[in-house]
Amino acid sequence: MAAIEAKGLTKSYDKTLALKSLTLEVPEGGVCGFLGPNGAGKTTAVKLFNGLLTPTGGECSVMGFHPEKEPEKVHAVSGVMTETARMYGQLTGLENLCFFGETAGMSRGDARQRAGELLRWLDLWEARDRKASAYSTGMMQRLSLARALVHRPRVLFLDEPTSGLDPESAQMVNNLITDLAKQEGTTVFLCTHQLRYAQDICTLYGLIDKGTLLACGGFEELWKQAGCRIWAGFRLKDGVHPEGGFEQKDGWWRLAVNSEEEMPEILRALVQQNLDIYEARLFHPELEEVYFRFLQTVETAGEEGGGKGEN
Amino acid sequence: MKINMQMTTGQKALMRKDFAEVWKTPMLRNTLLALPAILMVVMPVMFLLVAYFAPMEQMNGMDEILALLPEKAQNLNERQMMFYTMTTMMAPMFFLMIPLMSSTVTASSSFVGEKERGTIETLLLTPMTVRQIFRAKVEMCVRLSLLVTGISLVLFAITALVGNVILEMPFWFDWSWVVLVVLLAPALTVFGVVFMVLVSGRSKSYMEAMQTSGYVVLPIILLFIGQFTGLFVLGAVVLLVVAAVVILLDAFLFRMASGLFTAEKLLKK
Repeated sequence: MAAIEAKGLTKSYDKTLALKSLTLEVPEGGVCGFLGPNGAGKTTAVKLFNGLLTPTGGECSVMGFHPEKEPEKVHAVSGVMTETARMYGQLTGLENLCFFGETAGMSRGDARQRAGELLRWLDLWEARDRKASAYSTGMMQRLSLARALVHRPRVLFLDEPTSGLDPESAQMVNNLITDLAKQEGTTVFLCTHQLRYAQDICTLYGLIDKGTLLACGGFEELWKQAGCRIWAGFRLKDGVHPEGGFEQKDGWWRLAVNSEEEMPEILRALVQQNLDIYEARLFHPELEEVYFRFLQTVETAGEEGGGKGEN
Repeated sequence: MKINMQMTTGQKALMRKDFAEVWKTPMLRNTLLALPAILMVVMPVMFLLVAYFAPMEQMNGMDEILALLPEKAQNLNERQMMFYTMTTMMAPMFFLMIPLMSSTVTASSSFVGEKERGTIETLLLTPMTVRQIFRAKVEMCVRLSLLVTGISLVLFAITALVGNVILEMPFWFDWSWVVLVVLLAPALTVFGVVFMVLVSGRSKSYMEAMQTSGYVVLPIILLFIGQFTGLFVLGAVVLLVVAAVVILLDAFLFRMASGLFTAEKLLKK
């Protein structure tokens, strides 16, 4: 069973189409990066998966439960962290977590124990008795994450969990997400526009722009689909030109390869040419590059479509 | 339709949290404390002082007031008459303002405040159904408002009893007060909460919502002040009819409000 599933999921507000026929399947235990710029439709998707919005078309499910019909069952198995879901400023960090633990059906004692665990894990224990309104942005983000985790969810929806965080805190949150997926088998649906962080932790990607899913799949599948390549790169002495179809870019002589297995052979060939090699490395495609390629493809198709329409 | 009357752990936690929020907000707490004190103690005591100390020979309009009073009050002296007017015509108005105002004040924090602070979304993401959240919130507002109303009644009972003893007049509690306490006050409490849920969609802040609630007090004031025109007297029977109307209105508005209490509508800005 897929942990998260969407079939033709659509949402429009009056005349604005926020999400257009999203079809997606996230297996249990995976970390799915749902990537796109602000306003791409990521938050709308999260809200639809959690029953906060009603779809105008299609359907979706989380662990087999339909958010439109039984949102409370979806919430019992999922934890959600969005930028707009705030914590109670008048309550302390500990009181907030205890309250949300109890709303999930935990006894007061259990909720308090779980809150303590999470506060220690997220480095908030020292600030547990401080009112949430006095928390810094980073602390508040971590408290929201703790709130989403308080009832040990099997699926975690995180909408921009690292926005507004300093690099250190962002790294901490990313490590937590990885740990959750690896150690506890939690399925994570991560919405972000910070592609570098996403590449470190995701096992599956959905690229979205203007409400439309551009591509979905594992990273290798995506970069191949986008037409990206792995490059074998060599930094040679100035003025030297290696033989064998190399091209020069940013001070590197590079050659497209199908896999890293080809690297030793290329290196041997260069050594045989008696060249001075200062550095040799493989350039794998970056998520950013893949993402922009897809975006470019869509824009080009749009322009061509528009052009044809005009003619 | 099966109704589960048992409150879940989550609902109880929500009620406790909502109560704490009201209590920790000085303006709300002070309003809830000041209402009974001013309307049910200070005002009646002022009336009592006037009735006891004012030189009756200099008071105008006593005959007109006497004409408005029922037969059983016709044999009261002028001082007793003044205090009787307060306990039967003025105090019921003050008394009914309490459930209405305390319920709207509480509900403005519980419903509009939650929306204003951006915590309603967090609450809607808990494993409680929207209906459970709605019920817990309504129940907390009603319970707190009834508590304030109950305290007001006790305070007024003591004040009025003191007045009755000092002025050597009959006990103030009558059938009209039975209707007020048993039917009209609880019905108005529910009305106040439900009214606030309905306006919560349009109010951006709980302060704005509280201001809107001022309008619902107006009909009560007009109803009771209207008695001084001599056109009608709000006896037990008339109050019973008014209570029945409010209860019917409650049932209708409650259905309407619970229908409007959906995640998508609540999150609409």
